[in-house]
Amino acid sequence: MTQTLVLENVARHFGGVPAVDGLSLAVPAGRITGLIGPNGAGKTTVVNLITGMLHLSAGRVLLGGRDVSREEAPELARAGVARTFQNIRLVADASVLDNVLAGFHRHEKTGLMANLFGLPSARAETARLRAEAMTLLERFGMAALALERAGSLSYGHQRRIEMMRALAAQPSLLLLDEPVAGMNDAEAESLAGIFRAVAGEGVAVLLIEHNMRFVMSLCSHLYVLASGRLIAEGAPEVVGRDPRVVEAYLGA
Amino acid sequence: MIDFFFTYESLFDLILVNALLAMSQYVVLRAGVFSLGTAGFAALGAYGCALLVTRAGWPPALAIAAGMAIGTAASVLLALPLSRLRGVFQAVATLAFVQIVLSATQNWVELTNGALGINGIPKVVGLGTLTVVTLLVVAFLVAMGRFSFGRALDVIREDETVAVSLGISVPRYHRIAFIMSGALAGLAGGLHACNSYTITPGEFGFQMLVNVLAMVVLGGRTSVWGALAGAAILSTLPELFRVFADYRNMVQGVLMMLVIVYLPRGVADSFIVAVGDRRSRQASAVHGPRHETAVSVVHAAASDAGVRP
Repeated sequence: MTQTLVLENVARHFGGVPAVDGLSLAVPAGRITGLIGPNGAGKTTVVNLITGMLHLSAGRVLLGGRDVSREEAPELARAGVARTFQNIRLVADASVLDNVLAGFHRHEKTGLMANLFGLPSARAETARLRAEAMTLLERFGMAALALERAGSLSYGHQRRIEMMRALAAQPSLLLLDEPVAGMNDAEAESLAGIFRAVAGEGVAVLLIEHNMRFVMSLCSHLYVLASGRLIAEGAPEVVGRDPRVVEAYLGA
Repeated sequence: MIDFFFTYESLFDLILVNALLAMSQYVVLRAGVFSLGTAGFAALGAYGCALLVTRAGWPPALAIAAGMAIGTAASVLLALPLSRLRGVFQAVATLAFVQIVLSATQNWVELTNGALGINGIPKVVGLGTLTVVTLLVVAFLVAMGRFSFGRALDVIREDETVAVSLGISVPRYHRIAFIMSGALAGLAGGLHACNSYTITPGEFGFQMLVNVLAMVVLGGRTSVWGALAGAAILSTLPELFRVFADYRNMVQGVLMMLVIVYLPRGVADSFIVAVGDRRSRQASAVHGPRHETAVSVVHAAASDAGVRP
């Protein structure tokens, strides 16, 4: 199995306090891998380390076998790493469509001058991307809302826009940071179908979640983080019975 | 009607020059660059143009182009160090630049004639030229906003973290926006010099810096229409408020505060958003039931109740 992402003994300290400590994990292409843990376990820190938004204190990050430990966030994004944010971060006054279009940035080929002056090549590219964005919107059941202002929509719709923007990048690695937080079961289930389909297209998906039940049904492999350390890993049904995991979650 | 235009021609000239300066400020604010450099670039453009016409005998059109080139060159030089800074540090750095330019215009007497300014500039730029140039710049900025470049600027302004996560190189876009701002301000300065017979250092001081910033805040900083509306309003108000005489600035200040508190997007951008929202409400009233799913009805109910986890 090809491993799209590998973390080797990754650590990050904040002023001497370890947020992530000696974490190793692998995210294979075409699968959904789960990273779970109680609040404050360091899950979002892991996402920030993988995407280059934080620098490693120790360890290595390999993307497709290449050491990317020192690369900055924009380079990693251009290399095919996409993410969603736990707290929704959209251009509130722009339309749903424009928010999704921003996700195509790494695939845009027309030059600066063509874009500044609105030359035919820029027009053609935007028209083509707009059509691709509409396909995404249809997939997420939001085609009718394409021209709505993103900030005027409901929480669930805004979360979907976040995901469409990340998918627009056609990533090889997709990091979903608590994508169904605050959603009800029916909505979460409709998104689960989309995540499965994305993985089915060969994308490596790392799903960061707090909601144990949701992760159990989706992931082929689970990593459990508590206080920055890996306390368990394996198949969901095995991990779910692990006493250390139960203790970390229930605080027993 | 014709009489009206002749009577107020100088006011229209002022509005258009201010509109160009406001668009220079708009470009940087749209990219999330807190540059106050517009007044400095305008001074460079105006003095460069005026000196080339009066001392070197350049034809005015060429001198105006040179003024724009000088503004561009200065912004190119400043762009590199500036793109390493953020927010308030960009504001302080560009403020320092404006101070340097202003002291040069005031104290380098052999070149700039100091506080007396430069006189005897032929007035070759009239309302027609200003209108054409402003329209061209508006068309350029509208085109710029509609494609990849404009989308990238919007994401950077709203949230740099997101921009970075999409592979957008923030320093690069900050530099380009800053250079465009310098070019526009240099152009506005050159046109102003050839529109008003004389220029003095006082015109490009703190007052211009504040005015230009106020125009964009008042009008709105996410669409080019905001800059235009702001320039029109803040250039016309002093004329309308003549009756208030000494209280003119106070009235203007109160107006600014009201707009910032009640229309934080600015006059023009608030209007655009309100029209858009109204249209989509009407559209959903007509077509709504077809598209609504059970899920989105729940969402709509939740957001109506102000519930946002």
